[in-house]
Amino acid sequence: MTLRRDFVVGAVLIALAIAMIWGAQGFPRIRAMPYGPDLFPKIIAGGLIVSALGIILEGIRDIRSDRIDDSAGRDRITMLAALSFMGIVALVAGFALLLPVLGFHVAAALVLLCAVRIFGGNWVLAGIMALSAPVVLHYIFYSLMRVVLPWGVLAPYAW
Amino acid sequence: MDLLAILSIVVEPRILGTILLCTLYGAFVGAMPGLTATMAVALLVPFTWFMDPVQAAAAIVATTTTAIFAGDISGALLKIPGTPASAAYVEDSFRLSQTGKPRTTLFTSLFASVCGGVIGVAILAYATPQLAQLSRSFSSDEAFWLATLGLSCAVFVGGPSVPRNFASLFIGLAVATIGIDVAVGHPRYTFGLMELYDGINFIPAMIGIFALSELLRNAALGRQAHLGKLVVEPLFSAIRDAWREFRKRWKNVIRSASGGTVIGALPGAGADVAAWIAYAVSRRFSKTPEAYGRGHVEGVVDGGAANNAAVAGAWTPALVFGIPGDSVTAIAIGVLMMKGLTPGPDIFTNDTVLVYTIFGSFFMANVMMLLTGGLVVALATQILRVPRAVLMPLILLLSMIGGYAITGSVIAIWIILALGLLASGMIWAGMPLAPAILGIVLGRIVEDNFMVSMMKSRGDLTEFFARDTAAVLGTLTLLVWAALLLRAGWSFFGNRTSSK
Repeated sequence: MTLRRDFVVGAVLIALAIAMIWGAQGFPRIRAMPYGPDLFPKIIAGGLIVSALGIILEGIRDIRSDRIDDSAGRDRITMLAALSFMGIVALVAGFALLLPVLGFHVAAALVLLCAVRIFGGNWVLAGIMALSAPVVLHYIFYSLMRVVLPWGVLAPYAW
Repeated sequence: MDLLAILSIVVEPRILGTILLCTLYGAFVGAMPGLTATMAVALLVPFTWFMDPVQAAAAIVATTTTAIFAGDISGALLKIPGTPASAAYVEDSFRLSQTGKPRTTLFTSLFASVCGGVIGVAILAYATPQLAQLSRSFSSDEAFWLATLGLSCAVFVGGPSVPRNFASLFIGLAVATIGIDVAVGHPRYTFGLMELYDGINFIPAMIGIFALSELLRNAALGRQAHLGKLVVEPLFSAIRDAWREFRKRWKNVIRSASGGTVIGALPGAGADVAAWIAYAVSRRFSKTPEAYGRGHVEGVVDGGAANNAAVAGAWTPALVFGIPGDSVTAIAIGVLMMKGLTPGPDIFTNDTVLVYTIFGSFFMANVMMLLTGGLVVALATQILRVPRAVLMPLILLLSMIGGYAITGSVIAIWIILALGLLASGMIWAGMPLAPAILGIVLGRIVEDNFMVSMMKSRGDLTEFFARDTAAVLGTLTLLVWAALLLRAGWSFFGNRTSSK
């Protein structure tokens, strides 16, 4: 683990702990009770801060002992990898936004079309998957398992 | 319940069919590199929503049992363990396969796994009712210490860095604080979203942590494993040779399966830790330790028996105390809770049928694994040729529909995304995921019992040790904390001294 990564991780954990403590300030108390809903989150926040300090100390130790971990180099993120990663994130967010509007069939087809390309498939495979898989999955979830999947723009053709 | 009554439940066509289908599904997912047993169960959970508790438990048990074995398939053929539980002996199984014996190696592993699984379930069926008797008199003090002890054990076995293991646990506990609190019924960290008042729904959380994080990693790595040229021996001679090999090493199987069950029962340890320890013990007692890592079947037998036995072992603390032994039982506890059942000592009196069906399902799943596992071994080279571009997009879509199916709301998809990103960040930061999962599952239990005890004692912490059993459990927990502190100190100062 490099010092930089340790510092980033430590800082993020401390920020999370501070946010938890700050959020807990507004929790109400009942007079008869000495402890309220803020107690447990504050204990957890304390634990996060101690853990973060431990991680930072580990990073400092590694630098002092000239221990440079080559794993940082091994999993160095390439532009393509970052784009693929962000692509999947965008697909999940897009599906959440588009599902109620476009309906299951269209949203699922769009997700598959893009996902197949991200995972290295060609346009023909992407097209086949986008046309067939939503129909099969809709049958399993909607018709067999009775999950109410939205029809969206295909509502006039719903069965 | 007698044996005949248990068997009559598990051979019921509905349960038997579920076990058969799930062993096939588990074998397929486990065999695919990068798709873990936990991911298989996380993807299965939306389907269990539409099953009764007995059928749901049988489905989870059957899927896990076979997925853990099937992890050996890609390990032996591609040198990529299908599940982390197969990593301990992947070098040996791969080298054995390269000598022209892939099927013999895999069938040997299958026999060891089946035998390990059966030994594991025998220990589970014997030990859990006895432990349940012991735990009947527990109050909030004991329940708090027990859950804390479970979490502390998860930190202990989580990974080499104690601060990272603790950080993972506290992240899980932090996620568990979202929703209405137990003390005054005030919504915490819900950002005004009504959907979060009941807390983070467990199923989308698990799908996000195990399925989406894996998909994101796969997308970033962008690798497709290739089988290359592989010499495959005839099926029947492979089965015959494997049986011969297995019979020669039955003592190893008994030793590793017993040890694996005990290790599996430790919260957070799971099948992968069991396999690593069994492999190390096997090497220590072997007459040919120098052959380990160079294609030695003994390591494959020991590791294979231990990891499948650990799958059953993990259910011991889950059923008796409601504390999951690994990520899969954490999911199982979540599923049972959603169905209105609370694992713990009372389940042995209130839901006897469920408990004994779990034992019966384990047994049946292991027996059926001979058939379905054998089938997957026979078809392994075809299964491993399924392109990533077909499999991964389908898993992505299934994950999202699965989450949506449970809540009927897109909030589930946002939870999947948020926790998938959180898990990816944790993996990048070198944190193990198991303590976080246990934190999410046990967070509420720990807080509920902690708050009840705090109110009872009016803040006097010595009251947490007032009852005998609570004092023992509390002392044990403090000892684990002391050991963790020592380990962290040793790792910090010991390494610094040695580097000078």
